[in-house]
Amino acid sequence: MGNFLVWVIWLLAAGACVATGLRVITAANPFSSALSLIGNLASLAVLFLLASGEFVAAAQILVYAGAVMVMFLFVIAYLGGRADAPWAGGTRLIQTASVIAAASLLAVVFVALMLNAGDRLSDEASVTAAFGSPAEVGRVFLTDHLLAFEITSIVLLIAAVGGVVLGMRSAAEEEDADS
Amino acid sequence: MVNGAWVCLLAPLAGFLAITLAGDRITRRQAGILSTASVFVGFAGAVVAFIDALSREPDDRAVTTTAWTWLAAGDFKVSIDLLVDPLSITMMLVVTGIGGLIVLYSNGYMEGEDEERRYFAYMSLFVFSMLMLVMGGNLLLLLVGWGLVGLASYLLIGFYHDRSSAIDAAKKAFVINTIGDAAMALALFLAIAKVGSLDYSTVFDAAQSGELSDTVVTLLALGLLAGAVAKSAQIPLHTWLPDAMEGPTPVSALIHAATMVTAGVYLICRTHLIFQAAPDIQHLAAVLGLITLLVAGGIALVQWDIKRVIAYSTMSQIGYMFVGAGIGAYPFAMFHLVTHAFFKALLFLAAGLVIHHLDGEQDIRKMGGLAKSMPYTRWTFLIGSLSLAGIPIFAGFWSKDAIISSTLAYGGALGWILYVGALLGTLLTGLYTFRLYFRVFHGEPSELVTAHTHGEHSDEGARSMLLPVGVLALGATFVGFLAIPGVWEPFEKWLEPVVPPLVQATTAQDWFSSLISVALASLGIFVAWRAFQARRELVPDGFARTALEHKLWFDELYDVAVSRPAQLVAMRLRDRIEVPVVQGGLDEVAEGAVRGAAATASVQSGLLRTYALAFTVAVAVLTLVFLVVR
Amino acid sequence: MMGPGIPWYLAISSILFSIGVAGVLLRRSPLIVLLSLEIMLNAANLSFVGFSRLFGEMDGQIFALAVMAVAAAEVCVGLGLIVAMARRRLALDVDTLTELRG
Repeated sequence: MGNFLVWVIWLLAAGACVATGLRVITAANPFSSALSLIGNLASLAVLFLLASGEFVAAAQILVYAGAVMVMFLFVIAYLGGRADAPWAGGTRLIQTASVIAAASLLAVVFVALMLNAGDRLSDEASVTAAFGSPAEVGRVFLTDHLLAFEITSIVLLIAAVGGVVLGMRSAAEEEDADS
Repeated sequence: MVNGAWVCLLAPLAGFLAITLAGDRITRRQAGILSTASVFVGFAGAVVAFIDALSREPDDRAVTTTAWTWLAAGDFKVSIDLLVDPLSITMMLVVTGIGGLIVLYSNGYMEGEDEERRYFAYMSLFVFSMLMLVMGGNLLLLLVGWGLVGLASYLLIGFYHDRSSAIDAAKKAFVINTIGDAAMALALFLAIAKVGSLDYSTVFDAAQSGELSDTVVTLLALGLLAGAVAKSAQIPLHTWLPDAMEGPTPVSALIHAATMVTAGVYLICRTHLIFQAAPDIQHLAAVLGLITLLVAGGIALVQWDIKRVIAYSTMSQIGYMFVGAGIGAYPFAMFHLVTHAFFKALLFLAAGLVIHHLDGEQDIRKMGGLAKSMPYTRWTFLIGSLSLAGIPIFAGFWSKDAIISSTLAYGGALGWILYVGALLGTLLTGLYTFRLYFRVFHGEPSELVTAHTHGEHSDEGARSMLLPVGVLALGATFVGFLAIPGVWEPFEKWLEPVVPPLVQATTAQDWFSSLISVALASLGIFVAWRAFQARRELVPDGFARTALEHKLWFDELYDVAVSRPAQLVAMRLRDRIEVPVVQGGLDEVAEGAVRGAAATASVQSGLLRTYALAFTVAVAVLTLVFLVVR
Repeated sequence: MMGPGIPWYLAISSILFSIGVAGVLLRRSPLIVLLSLEIMLNAANLSFVGFSRLFGEMDGQIFALAVMAVAAAEVCVGLGLIVAMARRRLALDVDTLTELRG
C-alpha cells in the first residue's frame, strides 16, 4: 500500500512538472509563464522529498519559489505591458531546427539511460533517516564542502553588487528622463 | 712598398666615407679640401711605393700582398690581394697625381654649386675605385674596381640631376658599360670553370701553358676585350662618351680623359698573356683601335661643342693605345696613356677655364679672340694642343710616335695597314685640334667674349684652377722625355719586366716614322690655319659632312636595333605577364582572403538564438560521440 | 527504496531539460528565456538529488544547493539587465539585440 501511494504521488508530481514546464515555454502572457514556473518548482520539491532530500526540498520552496520567483514577478509587474511576449519569432528554419535539436538531445540522453538502466542505476544505497536532514547538510557543508560554502557566499555578494550596478541610472538615462 | 700601396688605396676611400658620413656638418669648402687632401695623400703613398720599387732590383719589383680571404667556395678561393708592380705603380701615380690636380681644380671650378659635397664625395669614390681596379691582385678585384668606376662615372655624369639630358647620358653610359661588364663577368665565369681560380698568375699560366683549349682562351680574351672596348669607348661601344660631357668639366677631365677610359688599355696590358695566347683577339683589338682612331678623328672635325671635340679626340687617342696594345707594344701604349693623361686633362681643364669665364658657353662658334683676354689659358691650351698633335718637343710626340714606329716594326699586312692608318690619324689630329684652338683663341673677339671682358687683363680663374693647369702644362711638355728612343728610355725599362713588348722598333725606324708623322701633323696645323683664315670649314658640306655630323648614325642604329626592341619586349612582358600574372596573382590572393573572411564573418549574425542553437546541437553531437566511444 | 527507481528521476530530469532548451531556442522575450533557463537548472538539480540518493552520498544535495544559490545570483543579474534594457527603451526582443554581429 505504501509503495502504491508513493508511486501515485510520484506520478502526479512528475506529470505536474512536465505540464507546468510546457506551459512555461508556451504561454503568451509572461505572468502565466512565471506562475507556471512556480508550479514547476513546487512539484520538483515534492520529487526531492520522495528522494530523501528534505532540506533541498525545503530550500527549493523557500529560496527558489519564495525569493527568486517573487523577484521575477516584481519585474514583470514593473514592466507591465512591455513584458508581453508574443510567441516565437525567427525563421521557420530556426524554429524547426530548435525543436529538432531539443528532441534529439532528449533522445540521446534516453538512449544513454536505457543502456545503463540495468546494471548501474538500480542498486540504490540504503540510507539512514538522517540522510538529507538539515543537520546532515549542515555537517557536510562545514566539513567536506567548506570551500563550496564559502565560494557560494562570494558569488551571492558579487551578484548583489552586479544587480545594484545594473540598476543604477546612467547619465544618458538622466538626460532622457529630464528631456 | 706595400704600405705605400695600402695608403694609396685607402686614403681616397677614407675621404669618401668621411665626406659622406659628415654630410651637412662640414662646409662645402671643407668637403673640397678633404677630398683633395685624401687624393694627394694617396699620391704620397704611390710615390713612396714608387721610390721603394726603384730601390729594388728590376726583377724584384712585383709584390702581391693578401689582406684576407674574401670568399671561398669549395676549391675556389678569392682573397683581397693587392698587386704592386711597375705597371700598377705607374697607374697609381697617374690616377692620384693627375686626379689630385683635377680635384684641386674642382675646388675653384665647382664653387657656388649647391651640391659640392656630393661631388667631392663622388670624386674620392672614383679615385678609390680606379685604384682598386689597378691594384687588384686578381681578376675579381679588377672587376670590382671596374664596376665601381662605372658607378662613379654614372653618378658624376648625372651630377646635374635636374637636367634630363644629363640623366639620360648617365644612363646611357652605364648601360653600355654594363654590356662590357657582362662580357667580362662571363669571361671570369669561364675562367673559374676551366682554371678554378681567378688569381693572375694561375690564369696566365693556364692560358700560356696550353692546357686550355683554343676556344676557351679565345672566349676569355674576347670577354675581356669587350669590357675594355666598352670602358674605353672604342667602336662599337663608343656612343656614350660624347654624351658623358654632360657632367662637369673636371669630371670629363678625370674620368673621361685621363683615367677611367684608359682602364681598357690597362686591362689589355695586365692580361696580355691571355691575349698573346689568343692572337686573333689581340689583333682585333688593334683593328678596333684603328677604326676608332680614324672615325673619331673625322667626327671631331665637325663638332661645335668645345668639350665634344676633346671627347672625340680622347676616343681617337685611346684608339692609338689600343693599336699599341694590340700589336704587343705594351710599354708604349702605357707611355701614351701617361702622356695622354697629362695633355688631355690639360686641354679639358683649360677648356673649363674658358667655359667658366664665358659663364657656361660651350659653342665654339660663339667664341673667338680669347687670346687677348685669357693669355694664361691660351698658352697652356696651345701646349696641350701641340702635345696632342704630336709636335716635338712636347710629350705627345714621343709617345705617339713610339706606337707608330712599333706598327712599322711589326710588319706584315696588319702592320702596314696600322701604320698608314696611324699616320693618317696624325693628320686628322692636327686638323681638328688646331681648328679648335684657332676658333677659340684667335681672330677678333666675338660678341660674347667682349661682353665678358672686363678691363685689359680679366681674371681667368681662381688660383686653385690655374695652378693645376700650369702643372699639367709642364707635364705635357716634359714628360715625353722619359722615352727618347736610342738615347734614354727609362720608362720602357721600368715596365719591361712586367709587360715585355712583342715588337721593338729600331732607332732608324723610330726617327723615320717620326719625321713623317711630324710632317703630317704640321701639314694638318697649316691647313687648319688656312681654313681658319678663309673662314671655311675643313669638311665641306655634302654626304661626308652629314655622315660625320650624325656620328655615322651609330646612335640611330643602336636605337633601332637594340633599344626599341628591348623596350618593346619589356612592355610586352609587362602587359602580358607582369600585370596580369604576377600583379594579378597577388591581387587575387588578397581578394580571396578578403572574400573568405567575409564569408566566415557572416556566421556571426548577432542573433542570440542562433548561437544557442549551435550550442545545443554541439552538445547533442558530443554526447553521442562520447556514448559511442565510451 | 519505495516508489520509482532512480532512472525515472533521470528521465524526468532529461525531459525537463529538453523543455528548457526548447524554450531558450524558441522564445523571443528575454524574460521567458530566463524562465526557461531556470527550468534547465532545476532539471539538473533533480539529477543531482537523484544521484545523491543512488549513491547514498550527500555530495549531490550539497551541489544542488550550490546550484540554487548560483541560479539566484544569475536571475538577479539577468533581471537587472532586463530592467536596464527597459529603462533605455530598448525592445525586449532577443532578435533585435544584434550588437554581437560580426
